[in-house]
Amino acid sequence: MKHVASLVIAAVCASAQSAFTPPRLPDGHPDFGGIWMAATLSAAFNVEEHAASYGTPAGPSVIIDPPGGKLPYLPGMRERALDNDQHRERDPVGQCHMHGVPRVMFPPFPLEIFEDGENVVILTETEHGVRIIPTDGRPLLKNYSSWNGDSRGRWEGDTLVVEVRGLNGKGWLDQAGNFVGAGATVVERFRLTAKDTLEYEATVSNPAVFSRSFTVRVPLRRRPADVELLEYGCIEGERDAAHLPSTNAPANGERK
Amino acid sequence: MIRPALVLLLVTAAAWAQAPSARDLRGIWQAKGNAYRNLEAEKGVIVDPANGKIPYRAEARSTADRNFQARATTDPLLVCFQPGVPRATLLPEPFQIFQQQDRVVIVYQHVHSYRVIFTDGRPHYDDGIEFYMGDSRGHWEGNTLVVDATNFKPENWLDAAGHFHSNKLHVIERYTRDAPNTMRYEATLEDPEVFQRPWTIRAELARHTEPNFQLIEHECDRDAQGAYRHPPQFLK
Repeated sequence: MKHVASLVIAAVCASAQSAFTPPRLPDGHPDFGGIWMAATLSAAFNVEEHAASYGTPAGPSVIIDPPGGKLPYLPGMRERALDNDQHRERDPVGQCHMHGVPRVMFPPFPLEIFEDGENVVILTETEHGVRIIPTDGRPLLKNYSSWNGDSRGRWEGDTLVVEVRGLNGKGWLDQAGNFVGAGATVVERFRLTAKDTLEYEATVSNPAVFSRSFTVRVPLRRRPADVELLEYGCIEGERDAAHLPSTNAPANGERK
Repeated sequence: MIRPALVLLLVTAAAWAQAPSARDLRGIWQAKGNAYRNLEAEKGVIVDPANGKIPYRAEARSTADRNFQARATTDPLLVCFQPGVPRATLLPEPFQIFQQQDRVVIVYQHVHSYRVIFTDGRPHYDDGIEFYMGDSRGHWEGNTLVVDATNFKPENWLDAAGHFHSNKLHVIERYTRDAPNTMRYEATLEDPEVFQRPWTIRAELARHTEPNFQLIEHECDRDAQGAYRHPPQFLK
């Protein structure tokens, strides 16, 4: 009898956990289609807990592992992040580059996700960023280096798991100068937890910079149905002298 | 007397046009030929007017000539502007077409430009915002995807030879998949500030069928002088 009771409790717990049944595509996989944006912009400012400062609202850490919510930098690496913070003109996004993974998933701009049975595609409004994630089992590229990396997706139940390789090691994690370095790899997990909530987790492994892997979790919130991505020009309009390596350099994008 | 091979071709083409897959434009495509270099110099690109010349207004022809002389330094593409339409289609780089129920999405490898083309009848943006890639809405005419693109920025060029347009550019594109691995592309360009009349280009697109072929990231970076430049592997 005791056993039956604990089984019942287990079943109730399980059903409470999976109470939400996601909408599905004809292939049976959950439909992530829509325009999304990070439910909290805190991660875009700083993935760690941070106090308010000029232009930056205060926010909690989005790091769920390690406990304590701090990036597990190797000795000397936090100093580099603090130095970046003093030189935000180095931010690759300020230089019109794509965000890199995982930062690309929580910018303060909307992004669009759709699936076609062979790919999960993510378009970001900012920097007109693109991720095409094949889910057909093809191998990862070899000797590849890029801002947004090379991604392969697979389904574990209703969770999309994405392996990311080929990151160029130049990406920042946030506007505060936290960063990843060469050889970083990322495993992402996407899961609908409610009709309008897509939970995003990314586990970053980067032994050149961190003493252990760490995981961030940022829920994405669905935007209203009439929201469209609009074009984001950056290089075309880049005339900000602070972003130029030398003040003598010509403003980029200006036609002579 | 019709030869058997031609009969077979006609039958195959007719069967293809009947197949539901004729409206399936998905895949990775790339323009054949060198239209991207100079629309007027490449034979058969401008199909209307019949003389193959862009019907510029007189003063606009002078601007195009000046652009041509200065093209080595002033082509916006050289400093990594998004390429515009129809130039994006003609570049010697692949692009990938995705289809959803209410939209067609085209991702160009070239500087990872993309276009989201709604096919659900919603109207254009009408509030005066201009875009390098324009604002595109599509509909189907038979097996042809017809895309109406407006709201263009005026700075872009149409090719590497300095042919140009204003922000009054209106492009009507027609995508017709005429066989499993080929697609006919047509674009009619109207721009009363620059052209005397609408004119039309045509290009053949080929589908990439190599196993596991995929787009790779084409992102510009700054050179020593601070100007955005394409990585060398993408220069043609």
